[in-house]
Amino acid sequence: MSMEASELHDLSDDADYAASQQQGSASMMRCDSEKRSSSSEHEGAELIYLKDNVAIHPTQFASERISGRLKLTKQDSILFLSWIPYKGQTSNAKLSEKDRSLYTITAVPFTEVRSIRRHTPALGWQYVIVVLSSGLAFPPLYFYNGGVREFLALVKQHVYLARSGEDANVFLVNDFQSPLQRTLSSLELPSSLPVASGQSTYPLDGGSSSDSQGRTSAGVDNRVSQYVSRKQKSHDPTRDLSIHLLEKFSLVTKFARDTTTQLFSENNGFGSVDKRWNNQPVHSYSEKLTNIAEEKDNENHHSYPEKEHLNDEEINLVDVPADPLEFNKLSLVWGKPRQPPMGSKELTAFLDSEGRVVESKALRERVFYGGIEHQLRKEVWPFLLGYYAYDSTYAEREYLRSVKRMEYATLKQQWQSISPEQAKRFTKYRERKGLIDKDVVRTDRAFEYYEGDDNLNVNSMRDILLTYSFYNFDLGYCQGMSDYLSPILFVMGDESESFWCFVALMERLGPNFNRDQNGMHTQLFALSKLVELLDSPLHNYFKQNDCLNYFFCFRWILIQFKREFEYEKTMQLWEVLWTQYLTEHLHLYVCVAILKRCRSKIMGEQMDFDTLLKFINELSGHIDLDSTVRDAEALCICAGENGAASIPPGTPPSLPLDEGVLYPQDDDVL
Amino acid sequence: MPSRRRTLLKVIILGDSGVGKTSLMNQYVNKKFSNQYKATIGADFLTKEVQFEDRLFTLQIWDTAGQERFQSLGVAFYRGADCCVLVYDVNSMKSFDNLNNWREEFLIQASPSDPENFPFVLIGNKVDVDGGNSRVVSEKKAKAWCASKGNIPYFETSAKEGTNVEEAFQCIAKNALKSGEEEELYLPDTIDVGTSSQQRSSGCEC
Ligand SMILES: Nc1nc2c(ncn2[C@@H]2O[C@H](COP(=O)(O)OP(=O)(O)O)[C@@H](O)[C@H]2O)c(=O)[nH]1
Ligand SMILES: [Mg+2]
Repeated sequence: MSMEASELHDLSDDADYAASQQQGSASMMRCDSEKRSSSSEHEGAELIYLKDNVAIHPTQFASERISGRLKLTKQDSILFLSWIPYKGQTSNAKLSEKDRSLYTITAVPFTEVRSIRRHTPALGWQYVIVVLSSGLAFPPLYFYNGGVREFLALVKQHVYLARSGEDANVFLVNDFQSPLQRTLSSLELPSSLPVASGQSTYPLDGGSSSDSQGRTSAGVDNRVSQYVSRKQKSHDPTRDLSIHLLEKFSLVTKFARDTTTQLFSENNGFGSVDKRWNNQPVHSYSEKLTNIAEEKDNENHHSYPEKEHLNDEEINLVDVPADPLEFNKLSLVWGKPRQPPMGSKELTAFLDSEGRVVESKALRERVFYGGIEHQLRKEVWPFLLGYYAYDSTYAEREYLRSVKRMEYATLKQQWQSISPEQAKRFTKYRERKGLIDKDVVRTDRAFEYYEGDDNLNVNSMRDILLTYSFYNFDLGYCQGMSDYLSPILFVMGDESESFWCFVALMERLGPNFNRDQNGMHTQLFALSKLVELLDSPLHNYFKQNDCLNYFFCFRWILIQFKREFEYEKTMQLWEVLWTQYLTEHLHLYVCVAILKRCRSKIMGEQMDFDTLLKFINELSGHIDLDSTVRDAEALCICAGENGAASIPPGTPPSLPLDEGVLYPQDDDVL
Repeated sequence: MPSRRRTLLKVIILGDSGVGKTSLMNQYVNKKFSNQYKATIGADFLTKEVQFEDRLFTLQIWDTAGQERFQSLGVAFYRGADCCVLVYDVNSMKSFDNLNNWREEFLIQASPSDPENFPFVLIGNKVDVDGGNSRVVSEKKAKAWCASKGNIPYFETSAKEGTNVEEAFQCIAKNALKSGEEEELYLPDTIDVGTSSQQRSSGCEC
């Protein structure tokens, strides 16, 4: 009851929602015609349920949301789930058709679904997450028009749905624990469907399968044929469908295969690395990867009842599976040795007589490999953050500073002019100010610059954050921002300059603080994909131990390791990350690097989620920065394009592709 | 012979940012207060051994970030909780008004098997501030709220001065134990359930 009320409240004044409604109804007509054509290929399937305006949010940007239609169909007593994006939404122009079809869900049989998690927040859109037996999940499906409960009720009429004992919002699909239920299920499930019709009736976008053709090595072909024969033996049509799914969402096999292929190809784009590769027993590496792919495949064939059995065994079995990259010990030395920080002579050499950075890439590379001497940070950070343009002259920057100083004063005036009487009637302002006041006095107070009572720098920090919360009123203030601002203010000194550098940083990392936490979830998702790619045994361990949400890395990502290293080291790391030299997402590779360093401890001690979280929190202060950055670099190079492909477009700190609504207001708090 | 078996009791501390959750936890576990705790990011927990009638228990106390937008993380952390401690600042009406939200959010996300009887404990913190002169939520008001939610035990504390913190957590541990007992029936040597259920019904006495 309260849920419905809040839903009404929530959606009625939501501009995004209104827009999505319009798009939805406009495209409905198109969809109707589409339906006719699809119904012909969907012969014999009975339409059970249809819901419009169900969307996927591939990135945190409202403009990149994909609306579509959710369908349940039934054929030969198997229920199938489909979600098809609407075609030709103009606001989604920058999402290519390919992007869109990547997210399309084409007739997934419920026999492949393990559970459905529902989220019906008091504020914000309801959504469901469909988790497959393989442990992988589709992105959240947002029900813009509500109706999650009805959806689940309908599913329940067709498949056996049981509420999880652990989490009332999780509904297990076909989770037949008692023998009686098992018997019942065998009565309900269909005996067989012809394999051929299974494939032609539900064509999945050919992208992945045709892609992988023609560039497979003999070993892989062999494996594929084994795979095919195995599945033909089973005569289970749903298995065939799942193969496509696994191709699409459990990309590890494909990654591994691609990596193998890439290793055989002459030119993989990293000159210096190539040489190292040539000195290494490349064969063993690729074989190893193929083996991993094989194991992975085998594992995906297990259905979940067998998993319990596996878990039993593991209790006694503390053998840590080998790191797939480690047998080639030298591989971890790829990261170039760190150089001493860049000094002023070197910096001057990068500038022309008028102060332009002639080759910004070379400058970024230099900073990437060694950082900056402290007294030069003030000069270089504004470039790295994008506040100064690389091709600006000394004079232009001087001018920019003075203009920005005035602009800052005006912005600051906005809240400074609020009288006590006005403040009484301005709850949002009071609450924000209250939060900021509380946080600045607990930010880095042990660090000399912010030490002691009535510290003026603490006051500056407060003023900047409050001004920022007016400058970006939609995003407001969020915990963690003061952690970002602290080193910036310490380096820049000047309040206005610090403010604008902070603004520039938030252009990249603001999504970390989004109300719906989408920016964080995207990064955690990307991290899980990277670990899957770069350390599948560790990934499997996390999967088996219910740690795939990677919440134990939340603090690392939210404030980019600010609490993990001492102050000076944090500044070193940040300037390396800010260069965006190898990738915009080096921080995710840093996560992988740290996890890989602890992998044998994590798996050897059989850490569960709680223990892991505690362990990770307590790593703070015990991580060696230089070697971690080198590992991260190596991992990034090793992952290559497959790594980049694991990270969904728009994952922070990737810049938004247009100037849409940056910080969607899904609710009305602070 | 007394059993030395340890059992884990999981306690979640919730409340608005800045009400003193981290300080309370540290005061109880480490017996100290610092002005330099950082705002909590993500989640963390501290553990403390507690003894009841010659059985040892590990109290696992979870501290999470208080800002609304981090609440979606709760699902992962609230799971399996045996007791939930709600904290507000007696000098902040807003932190008191938000108690309902915190309680409901917890029940939704943790989805305990018996939400009606899930043990909560309420703490009104920072009673030391300004010698009590800046207080805006009266004890009476807080107790009325507790009564309306099924006699939730209530404590007024100062994490800064350590006032009443030990007492509050003793009650928390007891309540967690009771809620744990009901689920862990396999434990052969349970404590005297008779006395403990009596204590629960009497609300603030424990
Ligand atoms: N005077 C006083 N200050 C407190 C007390 N408890 C916490 N604080 C202060 O309130 C602020 C927030 O405390 P913290 O424990 O970090 O709150 P949390 O956000 O709920 O974890 C800090 O500046 C603490 O020093 C208390 O009992 N008395
Ligand atoms: Mg805290």
